[in-house]
Amino acid sequence: MEKRILFKYIDDPEQVRIDKYISRGGYKAWEKALKQMKPGDVIEEVKKSGVRGRGGAGFPAGLKWSFVPKDSPKPRYLVCNADESEPGTCKDRQLMECDPHGVIEGMAIASYAIGSHLCFIYIRGEFGGPIRSMNKAVKEAYDKKMLGKNIFGSGYDLDLIVHTGGGAYICGEETALLNSLEGERGMSRIRPPFPAIEGLYACPTVVNNVETLACIPHVINNGADWYTAMGTEKSKGTKIFSLSGHVKNPGNYELEMGTPLSYLINDLGGGVIDGHKLKAIIPGGSSTPFLLPEQLETPLDYESIAAAGSMLGSGGVIVIHEKTCIVWVIERLIHFYKHESCGKCTPCREGTGWLEQMISRIEHGQGKPGDLEKIDTICNNILGRTICPLGDAAVMPIQSALKLFREEWQYHIDHGKCLVETECPFR
Amino acid sequence: MSDNGNKITLTIDGRQVTVDRGTTVLEAARSIGIDIPTFCWHPKLKSVGACRMCYVEIEKFRTLAVSCATECLPDMVVHTRSEKVLQGRKAVLEFILLNHPLDCPTCDKGGECDLQDHTFAHGIDDSRFDFPKYRFKRDPKSTFDDYRIGPEIIRNQNRCILCYKCVRANKEIFGEHDLGVFQRGNLAEIDAAPGEKVDSLYSGNLVEICPVGALTNTDFRYKVRVWKTKQVKSICQYCADGCNLTLWARRNRIFRATSRRNDDIDEGWICDRGRYGYQVANAEDRLTTPLVKKGEHHVEVTWDEAIKTIAARFREIKDKKGGVCIGGLAYPGLDSASLYTVSKFFRTILNTNSIDFRYDYKMLPEKAGDVYSEMTAQPFSITGIEKSDLILVLASHLINEHPITHLRVRKAVTKLGSKLYTVNPFATKSGDISTDEIIYRLGTLEALINGVCMALTEQSNEIKTKYADKLKSLIAPSSVEAASKISGVEKERIHNLARAILDAKNVTVIVGEILTGSATRENMASAISNMLLISGIPAKGQVGFLSKYANSMGAQRLGVMPHLPDATVERLKELWDNYPEQPGLAADRILLAGRKEEIDSIFVMGCDPLLLYPDGEFVRESLETLDFLVVADMFESKTTAMADVVLPLAGPAEMSGSFVNIEGRIQTFDKAINPPGQALPGYEIMNRLAAEMKNPLYESDRQLHDEITMLLDMNHKAPAIMDVQEAKYIAEEPGDEYNIALVVTDELHHFGHLTEKTKSLSAFCAESFLEISPALAEKYHAQNGTLLRVESEVGKVILPVRISEHIDNNVAMIYKNFAATPVNVLQMRKRRVDYVRLSRVEEK
Amino acid sequence: MNFIRTVFVALPKGFLTTLKHLFKKPVTRKYPYERQEMFPRYRGKHYLEIYDDGSERCVCCGLCAASCPADAIYMEGAENEKGERYAKVYEINLLRCIYCGYCEEACPEEAIFLGHEYEFSDDNRDSFIYTKEQMLANRPKKEKPFKRIIRKVRRIF
Repeated sequence: MEKRILFKYIDDPEQVRIDKYISRGGYKAWEKALKQMKPGDVIEEVKKSGVRGRGGAGFPAGLKWSFVPKDSPKPRYLVCNADESEPGTCKDRQLMECDPHGVIEGMAIASYAIGSHLCFIYIRGEFGGPIRSMNKAVKEAYDKKMLGKNIFGSGYDLDLIVHTGGGAYICGEETALLNSLEGERGMSRIRPPFPAIEGLYACPTVVNNVETLACIPHVINNGADWYTAMGTEKSKGTKIFSLSGHVKNPGNYELEMGTPLSYLINDLGGGVIDGHKLKAIIPGGSSTPFLLPEQLETPLDYESIAAAGSMLGSGGVIVIHEKTCIVWVIERLIHFYKHESCGKCTPCREGTGWLEQMISRIEHGQGKPGDLEKIDTICNNILGRTICPLGDAAVMPIQSALKLFREEWQYHIDHGKCLVETECPFR
Repeated sequence: MSDNGNKITLTIDGRQVTVDRGTTVLEAARSIGIDIPTFCWHPKLKSVGACRMCYVEIEKFRTLAVSCATECLPDMVVHTRSEKVLQGRKAVLEFILLNHPLDCPTCDKGGECDLQDHTFAHGIDDSRFDFPKYRFKRDPKSTFDDYRIGPEIIRNQNRCILCYKCVRANKEIFGEHDLGVFQRGNLAEIDAAPGEKVDSLYSGNLVEICPVGALTNTDFRYKVRVWKTKQVKSICQYCADGCNLTLWARRNRIFRATSRRNDDIDEGWICDRGRYGYQVANAEDRLTTPLVKKGEHHVEVTWDEAIKTIAARFREIKDKKGGVCIGGLAYPGLDSASLYTVSKFFRTILNTNSIDFRYDYKMLPEKAGDVYSEMTAQPFSITGIEKSDLILVLASHLINEHPITHLRVRKAVTKLGSKLYTVNPFATKSGDISTDEIIYRLGTLEALINGVCMALTEQSNEIKTKYADKLKSLIAPSSVEAASKISGVEKERIHNLARAILDAKNVTVIVGEILTGSATRENMASAISNMLLISGIPAKGQVGFLSKYANSMGAQRLGVMPHLPDATVERLKELWDNYPEQPGLAADRILLAGRKEEIDSIFVMGCDPLLLYPDGEFVRESLETLDFLVVADMFESKTTAMADVVLPLAGPAEMSGSFVNIEGRIQTFDKAINPPGQALPGYEIMNRLAAEMKNPLYESDRQLHDEITMLLDMNHKAPAIMDVQEAKYIAEEPGDEYNIALVVTDELHHFGHLTEKTKSLSAFCAESFLEISPALAEKYHAQNGTLLRVESEVGKVILPVRISEHIDNNVAMIYKNFAATPVNVLQMRKRRVDYVRLSRVEEK
Repeated sequence: MNFIRTVFVALPKGFLTTLKHLFKKPVTRKYPYERQEMFPRYRGKHYLEIYDDGSERCVCCGLCAASCPADAIYMEGAENEKGERYAKVYEINLLRCIYCGYCEEACPEEAIFLGHEYEFSDDNRDSFIYTKEQMLANRPKKEKPFKRIIRKVRRIF
């Protein structure tokens, strides 16, 4: 069901002002963590609450924090990944623009937990509004002594730097983000060594998504048990889903984990536009496989969606109705991935280019027999063989489309035109 | 069967192997002879896992693992030839070859191309790609896409497989930033940084490291296929680092030189001077026949006639005035055999000790045993630099003098955590990675070092009680305050340096040319020796007074000097049965005696004193006054123009021989081609001359080899520094008019007088120029290229200006390698620092 | 008896054979006035081809020299005015050459072919070093139709 924790005051334009935020109980968790809890306690609390990474991978946040070596003489860094570029996802943008202090408080508590005195937020360069909003909020936080030296008289120093990216989807991947933050080309690094051991400037670094960090103050304020009371057995708490595509009411909705997909699309989203029938749903941003209308009742949590053959990912739900050619959808997706591939490792760099050329040819009616088998083998040569998940992300929707909508592809090859003509004003 | 402290045992293809912790699977496999194909892996660079060619299948791993980046774990089971791995390699090769052009017939890399080799071994026969290949077009009218990004480097982006080795090596190893990657994905291009050219001193290594023909050399372009050439082991003939080379020769012509990796010295990297310097061997203007001056001109003669002429004149002078009236100057870049025969000829046949290899030093001492000579005789260990946690570079433009030692220092600082302090009169490239780059006023080095000695006494009580009194009486200035004022370095920095020396566990001290070229090198060496003594560095590290030329160390050990240490004299007496009693003259004394007509004849073997001796007027007068001048050299020069007899000399590529490098390591090289025309190696010339005059110097090659080995193998460990030496700083202030300090040095891409004759190195820089700071240029309203007159008390030269951010003192730097503009006319041998003034040239 | 058989049977038989051949047409070919036409794939003296616009096909890649079993080919490469790769020196030692045709097979640019000329005797060894200019000039003026068909067939396999 819809449950507004992070989005409680999201519609109030006053929420961005720090005095309003404080009056609503803001920065209490920060004070509580600094004055009453030890860093280890914070990590334990977050571990117990089961907060999972909201950027797409779903890795338990507390566990990631505990990987930071306690005895390393090097400085630690916390980096907030606000390079939201996954197609279909727009939740972090609203959080940063309308509730920036929630994010700042989460970053502060996380920094304290891992022992970092310098944290960064890497915002995508195209996000004009969120950048302005964050800059203003950070300045307010400094003025009110929520950041800076000797916060709350506890002796802890914390500085926060807002860094804007140059426009690359690949910089949403954590190691490429760290490279970009260091001033180098935004290309991924091989792992191991993981960022928690050797990250920014070869120092222990934790990279978390905006939404993950925004959950932390609520967990600290209300306790782990309150958080675990929501959600399912393995996916706790709430998640913001960005609904888009062929629905009447697209937008960001915060739902308790385990809410069925039909509730999101039909009740909150108002159902499919123009009375068309549903054809396919992408549940977690464009990198995830398709779901069919038969799977509409799947609960929205990591395990159930995985069991249904897809991934929850970042929660960008894209709804596609029956008057859409799937090959056209895939062509647009592969063009995106080819453009955004950083070019470091061979399979993704050459493979996405080749796939784009082949799929484009099929879509424009010049496909040859044997193309589909070729595409499948190329996808298998890329899957799992790249440095970062961009290669997998490019390939999974293609393989899923080939499996579930084979007849549309075959029609393209046999007849040179779409089985279903796409009705779309942007064609 | 698991791990045991530092060792791990794992199984690769059914074979067990034990390796150190931290080794990657690829290295473990290579150590037992299993060759896993790679493109982007290099033993000296950090692994990036970009090419994905080194896949292996490891049990319990979800997908194929890249072996170059996967560390061995205990009890790992690895398969390098399973079905999945073979299919994976085929897939990667298919991807790489998608847009790779069919350039093999015209690509220079054919025959040694990693992509060709791996495709034949692991790839598929046919490509499934049926689209037109992408072309990175620069010029729409051209049929091919080669693009020059530097004087010697040509790139073809179509062939690039984006392994990034060039960019990584450039940044990690050489510290240069002139090559970068632009754009993204499969449209990524590797190109020179905007507005720059790829012309660093190490740019040739980028071509060697490229696995395909994306980066190629201009000088090797299209000339020959590598399978047709003969590969000959050689050693670089320029600086004293002694990098190991391979010369590729065919039909009496050398086509290129590449590195022959020696992890003790060069680790596979060579500088451009060694890489392109082989071209002197096949240069068109080599001397090919002996010449004798008859009247005004040189006339070609046979060897017989030339040798007879020389022998007759030598005999005449010897009978009239004694053999001591003939002096010898030898080039320290000659091979050991030639140097030894020079020494033997002069000492046994002419009965004189007046020979010297230090033809470009000012004011040499009159007897053996001075501190400087003793310190230069010590061997130095290049790999020892890696063990040090403090490296001190004194008076050395390290990248210019010893480029490969500079790379080793870079490795120690950037990868192994050492600290570097550079102490120079101008900013150098080594300073970029230093903890502190101390710049002192030119000519005040001993003052600064004495200041450091006093700072050491102030910081350590132990040193103070032991040495403070002695120091106060023997050195001047004797306070940090005074030293700071004289040298222009702040007190805190002197104290920091002293602190660093005391705290370090292992120290390497490198001393270079700026000290060697000065007239008061002995004084400075004493000051440095004091510092070493009181800080105890020889016990906890090493000291290197690095020699300059390829065989300077060899020349020293073989005795090509007038005053030899007693042990060497004893050994020579044993070998030869006679040894001249009268003490000989050092190089500058030989020239002085020539001018005063005490010496009637000089034999110059291989060098060009008119161009390089630091006092142009002096050397010209000396050589003009001589009755008889014999010059043996590879090319015509101003010195040969003055000679009565000119003999054509064979270079190191045209004979076999050996060099001794700064480590005291004897390295042999083989003959690649025949000498041009009638040129002969130095030892052959000396032997013929000796045979004509009295008797040959050696009966067989074996005898020569044994004698040389006996001398070179003598124990050369320097005596321990016993006591504090006297080291008083004598000021030499600039005059009112001539007040800009002058530094004369080799241009970065040149060395001595030979490199100017090569085509490639001249493409980097073909003429001398004046390098000054922006402030100084401003004073004379000069921009890059403006001609300025550089004048000293004794001479003047007109040079174009180049403004450099690196020079920040009142210093002018000019380069001595260009025969068209000899710059030694500005120098005076007695001055420790030469001063000049600048003025604009009003007419064009 | 034998005597009669020899004189009146065997001998005339022999003479008849000789007489028969006296009136038959001789198989002697009156070389050099009558020459045999060589078969299309005959391997004789080499020649270098050019493109239609007159530029040389040979790019001095070295494959012919590499495949030559007799090491008869010597070449030196250089850059021409357009910056392209070409053979500055290209020589075949016709006395070393065994006329196997491997060079023609190996050439990726279809530049070198073995023609039909077999009459090139001389009286000193130096004139058998066959240079590039000579090879270019030795091109057959019109390509024999059979040779073209053979080339096409060979390319399929």
